[in-house]
Amino acid sequence: MAETFYLKVVASDRQFYEGDCEMITFIGVDGSYGILPHHECMVTPLEAGELTLQIDGVKKEAAVGEGFVEILPNQVTVLTDFCEWADEIDIRRAEEAKQRAEERLRQKQSIIEYHSSKAALSRAMARLKVTDKIR
Amino acid sequence: MSSMREIRNRIKSIEDTMKITNAMYLISSTKLKKAKKTLENTEPYFELLQSTITDIMAHSTEIPHKYFDKRANVAEEKRKKGYIVVTGDKGLAGAYNHNVIKLAEEEMAKPGENVLFLVGQVGARAFSKANVKIDMEFLYLAQKPSQYGARSIAETVIEAFRQKALDEVYIIYTKMLSNAKIEPQVLQLLPLKRKTFEELGKKPDTEDYVRILWYSPSPKEVLDKIVPNYVKGLIYGALVEAFATQTYARMTAMESATDNAKEMLQDLSLRYNRQRQAAITQEITEIAGGANAL
Repeated sequence: MAETFYLKVVASDRQFYEGDCEMITFIGVDGSYGILPHHECMVTPLEAGELTLQIDGVKKEAAVGEGFVEILPNQVTVLTDFCEWADEIDIRRAEEAKQRAEERLRQKQSIIEYHSSKAALSRAMARLKVTDKIR
Repeated sequence: MSSMREIRNRIKSIEDTMKITNAMYLISSTKLKKAKKTLENTEPYFELLQSTITDIMAHSTEIPHKYFDKRANVAEEKRKKGYIVVTGDKGLAGAYNHNVIKLAEEEMAKPGENVLFLVGQVGARAFSKANVKIDMEFLYLAQKPSQYGARSIAETVIEAFRQKALDEVYIIYTKMLSNAKIEPQVLQLLPLKRKTFEELGKKPDTEDYVRILWYSPSPKEVLDKIVPNYVKGLIYGALVEAFATQTYARMTAMESATDNAKEMLQDLSLRYNRQRQAAITQEITEIAGGANAL
């Protein structure tokens, strides 16, 4: 059996996953990260995007919101706004959210509005990207 | 002594009031079930968020950052303090709203310039009369805490903090201590307070102490990203908790109101029956006295 570490993924509305995991990949501010057991202690922000967990040799994909990842000796904690398995995502809602965000981005906005529309768009894109793979 | 008619009228009116309080009790108890579920789902996040951030802070004592900046050069009376006050949209929840507002007033009595961010109608009404600067009202949030709402509050206060329109930001909400006790609380959001290891209860020579966290890509960028997220998470958690306690407060208030009404009805019906008996007895004595006189 492959080596594992203890993983905790907590979303703001539920405890998403708790248990052993072989590998986790996520999107950070400066690109993709992959974490294996015995990783160095690290804190890094999490961007909205894909989260892949490898449990018992099987890869599972989920969409996550913004948050952060804390890596301690053989324990990884992911805290995020939302986290959904691919089959839980409401595709139509995500499509609509994407369109709304794009609509807003086309208009002239203040910096704050621009950032919040951008964030909304990236959340919608994260959901759609994960669902695209299973379809 | 009041007449029989008066007592009857009172019984009628109390019965009507009881119908309302009882209905409100039933509604709030079903709502509470839902609110409690949301609270249970959010609690792990809320707690883990706080403990993880304190942990990260404790390991990053050396890093200067704008969110740690206490702005000590600003005099106590000149400090601009932002308070997010979470109340309910409606009354009839016992002392719930009153306690939050009282605590907010106590906090505001401290030196400094106050700016209010209000959640909930009751607080908005209470403070609109008082002479306080209200920056923004988020009225829609008290009944339905949402990520979206928390995000907009967080963005507003963080922006104000960055532009030095605010030096300190607090949130005042009601926390459920145990199942039977709720209490209003003040939580400091910004600037972030660093706790020392002694405060965390860790010994200086343990492995935890010497462990060094690596910030990827850089400490500044990590904190830039994490802190707004943390503030938003805290606000969301506080909103969820406030809603649950509000429903709980309303349920208990309505329960005791219904109980009181029942007690009063019992008392009144006893008095009514006594009065009725007295009237009958009096009539009989009058008839008997009249018959004797014949």
